[in-house]
Amino acid sequence: MDTATLIEAAIKVHIVLGFILLGVPLIVWMERKVIGHMQDRIGPERVGPFGLLQTIADGIKLFMKEDIIPSQADKVVFVLAPALTVITALVATTVIPWGDTVQLFGRTIGLHITDVNIALLFVLGATSMGVYGIVLGGWASNSKYPLLGGLRSSAQMISYELAQGIALVGVILMTGTLSLAEIGRAQKHMWFIVPQFVGFVVYLLAGIAETNRAPFDLPEAETELVAGFHTEFSSMKFAFYFLGEYANMMVVSGVAITVFLGAWQGPFLPGPVWFLIKLTAFLFFYVWLRATFPRLRYDQLMAFGWKVLLPVSLLNLVVTATVLAFRGS
Amino acid sequence: MTLVEPFLFAMFGGTAIGCALGVVFHRNPVHCALLLVGVLLSVSGLFVLLHAPFIAALQVIVYAGAIMVLFLFVVMLLNVKGESSILTPGAAKGFGILFALLGFVELLWTVLSPAAESSGIPEAVLPADFGSPAAIGRILYTVWLFPFEITSILLLVAVVGAVVLAKRKFA
Repeated sequence: MDTATLIEAAIKVHIVLGFILLGVPLIVWMERKVIGHMQDRIGPERVGPFGLLQTIADGIKLFMKEDIIPSQADKVVFVLAPALTVITALVATTVIPWGDTVQLFGRTIGLHITDVNIALLFVLGATSMGVYGIVLGGWASNSKYPLLGGLRSSAQMISYELAQGIALVGVILMTGTLSLAEIGRAQKHMWFIVPQFVGFVVYLLAGIAETNRAPFDLPEAETELVAGFHTEFSSMKFAFYFLGEYANMMVVSGVAITVFLGAWQGPFLPGPVWFLIKLTAFLFFYVWLRATFPRLRYDQLMAFGWKVLLPVSLLNLVVTATVLAFRGS
Repeated sequence: MTLVEPFLFAMFGGTAIGCALGVVFHRNPVHCALLLVGVLLSVSGLFVLLHAPFIAALQVIVYAGAIMVLFLFVVMLLNVKGESSILTPGAAKGFGILFALLGFVELLWTVLSPAAESSGIPEAVLPADFGSPAAIGRILYTVWLFPFEITSILLLVAVVGAVVLAKRKFA
């Protein structure tokens, strides 16, 4: 491991980290603006041009607020939980490629922080660890609504993780690799959304449930659970949960783009630009869903995950494997 | 690489031992479960150092990400305050010492056996695809096919058993 490799890695880590930390306020702004217009309101417009700085102002407000730890809370876990949510989301971003390799200063540089040969499993592992942030946040608050929210979310995330993972196996079978960069390169002529449309839909729905977004945002259903698992969190701890949720949205979108929507591939424009366009479109879709659908009831959510998504993803896997086996022989 | 590896080994190994001690000595069941997650994560780090990234990923996804979450789920739901033991403290201590001694003797046996002595090969040459998902899948479906299928039947039995227990009506 020479110095140049270290410098390269450090630069790439800073690019990705900066992108996420600057991207999250923009996504929040986009969400508020888009939902505002969809509901015939104008959304934020007072702070900065088009209200662009509204999220920054909110961030400063959260930063300045008093940090409250409930007296009966488990203090160590209470502090650890929001951090876990952000850490797992950021760890998952390290293997997502945002472009093909480029030649720079006589070095071949892959446009991703690292490309391990088990990248897809790495992302799944990191997101499965993300459950802890929410479960522990609910438990450590030592209060009933957060506990109920935390328990709901652990059941929800474990249920949907299965369908999410199995939906990806179809593409793994087609490419024969777990490396996200390789999967991205394999889509030069055809995006995998075409042969793996069922897998894409299952992954998308499970991903939305995994990130606790509407219409699967039961862990924080405010009409029945106040604010769910983050009821007792204030100030920067609340901001961390917020940041973690949006970073997780980026991870789920990034994986969906890389695996099903042709990664960074596209005509005319360079790879990273295409990746950014696709990411924005995907996040817009997230917001659109939130403005469109009412929240599911809890039993509907569990029934949908176990009785619809999981069988469909298994069927997709069996069909894909059969077709590939016949074609191969 | 040669410089970093011992450092990483010490880090993961040390964390694993520290967390494992915490699992045993901590009173709060939720903290114990969390420390066990720490042990599993450090051990998966050790797997990566042993050129087995696939096993490491599975360790995180299956054990730390799914099984331990269910553990936590149950502990939180039951809200276990103190620990309630089946054995009397004295009997528990006796069993603990017995099994610790057995484990120690077994380890000593392995280390001191002539087989370990003779295998003083400095660096085993690994095949290029060692520990890759493809290599593990191939060996699982050829050499170890029978045990693999038996395990799946065992899991099926466990699932059926769980359903039967859950569906049973308590009159």
